Amino acid sequence: MAKGTVLVVDDEAPIRDILSFYLKRAGYQVLTAGDGLEALEEMGRSRPDLIISDLRMPEMTGDELCKRIKSDPATRDIYFIILSTLDGTASRIGGLSLGADDMIPKPFHAQEVLAKVDSTFRLIEMQNEIKRQNKELTTFQSRVQEEMELAAALQMGLLPKLPGKAPGSRYTHRYLPAAGIGGDIYSILPLPDGCTAMMIADVSGHGVTAALISAMVKTSFENQVRLGGEPLAWAYGMNEDLCRSTLPEQFATAWLGHLDPVSNRLRYVVAGHCAPLRIVGGTRGGLQRSEVLRGKGFMLGLDEQLPFVGYDAEFLPEDRLVLYTDGLVEVEREDRSMLEEAGLRRICAELPVGAEEAADAVITQARAYNHPAHFVDDVTLVILDRNA
Amino acid sequence: MLNIQTRQTGNASVVSIQGKVNFEVTAQLRDVIRETVATAQPKLLAINLEGVSFIDSSGLGLLVAARNSVDKSGGKLHLCCLPATVKKSFDQTNLTNYFSIFATEQDALRGA
Repeated sequence: MAKGTVLVVDDEAPIRDILSFYLKRAGYQVLTAGDGLEALEEMGRSRPDLIISDLRMPEMTGDELCKRIKSDPATRDIYFIILSTLDGTASRIGGLSLGADDMIPKPFHAQEVLAKVDSTFRLIEMQNEIKRQNKELTTFQSRVQEEMELAAALQMGLLPKLPGKAPGSRYTHRYLPAAGIGGDIYSILPLPDGCTAMMIADVSGHGVTAALISAMVKTSFENQVRLGGEPLAWAYGMNEDLCRSTLPEQFATAWLGHLDPVSNRLRYVVAGHCAPLRIVGGTRGGLQRSEVLRGKGFMLGLDEQLPFVGYDAEFLPEDRLVLYTDGLVEVEREDRSMLEEAGLRRICAELPVGAEEAADAVITQARAYNHPAHFVDDVTLVILDRNA
Repeated sequence: MLNIQTRQTGNASVVSIQGKVNFEVTAQLRDVIRETVATAQPKLLAINLEGVSFIDSSGLGLLVAARNSVDKSGGKLHLCCLPATVKKSFDQTNLTNYFSIFATEQDALRGA
């Protein structure tokens, strides 16, 4: 196989012959032309990698040829070496300023030309390699981008469909992942006995790994709920699942709840998660009092042997439940303060009647408080309103 | 910006952390802890959290992983000098009961 194609352009036949002879012997494919016009014609038939051209020729000179080659986007990457009797620095610069890549002064030694051609081809090869790698990287990047978008869409599909309805209550969410895809997840499941199972979780870290684990957390929760029982049993089961299937440093904070609309009791487990707010009579709007559904508990996925604690609270008709992940309240402002639970309670002291409007109000006010800082972590907010 | 200093005292290694421990800096802290455990193989690794202004769940996860890896190599992990905000995060996640926590570095190093 030829090492590459060189187009030799010179009006003197002996020079074309000598160069052709040496270049062919060295393994190059050689095309020849007597002047610039012929060279362009030749290039219409096949494309050289390198052009070696004399300057002074009839019809079209070497400078003109060089200008045309270098001004056409289709050909400007072809290496152009000027072969000329013009010697001295001034004319060299003149040649290179035309856009030529190199110059060889006449008279020349064939070996010198050959050495220059060889080194030029090494450059061409390197450039081609860089272009190839660049193309590969671009392809790879766009594939990753596409996959991330698909994964983000898939993750959105894991969230409950809105508007959310559970026995005797309705809910909505705002889900704002930090990196297109995130580690927050929640689930609300109506149970056959008229109760409702609830879970919100925040997987450590961000991005694809956290998102994968969040899907696992949801599946694990749903499996546990299907087995029956209550939040305490679910927490033990989910902890076991997560300990077995995640790496160190991968775990989730979670809040698990069970709402019984007949007894108006909410049983729950706090697994290292931000304590939700119960807004007493919150669905009626106006000034409201909130209670923090406190509790202590380990995160899920730390250690199979760890104990959890079950808690119990009142949750009456027309009450509102605010579940959230720490990204909502842990944005550091310029003065280094954060909204925190206390700030969220201030916001929740007066929220609109509808869950949708209330969710918007919480996000808007949290953003206003943080401004000009932005949410940096995944943010999830769920508002569940009990019917009258 | 996280500032991490390590020193060796007897059989113990002390890692002092200053700044905000969140997702952005866990890699840096993980490397330091890993290197300290690998090179010094301390009987006791004490982590001084006095200068920590905030710790998020990735930071807590890192400390848990550190405890597990020190446990596995037969050593102990002691935490000391938790500021109020950090203490709150530990309480909320019940990690106060998961770690051996000391009020001062001296207490944490006792018995090393």
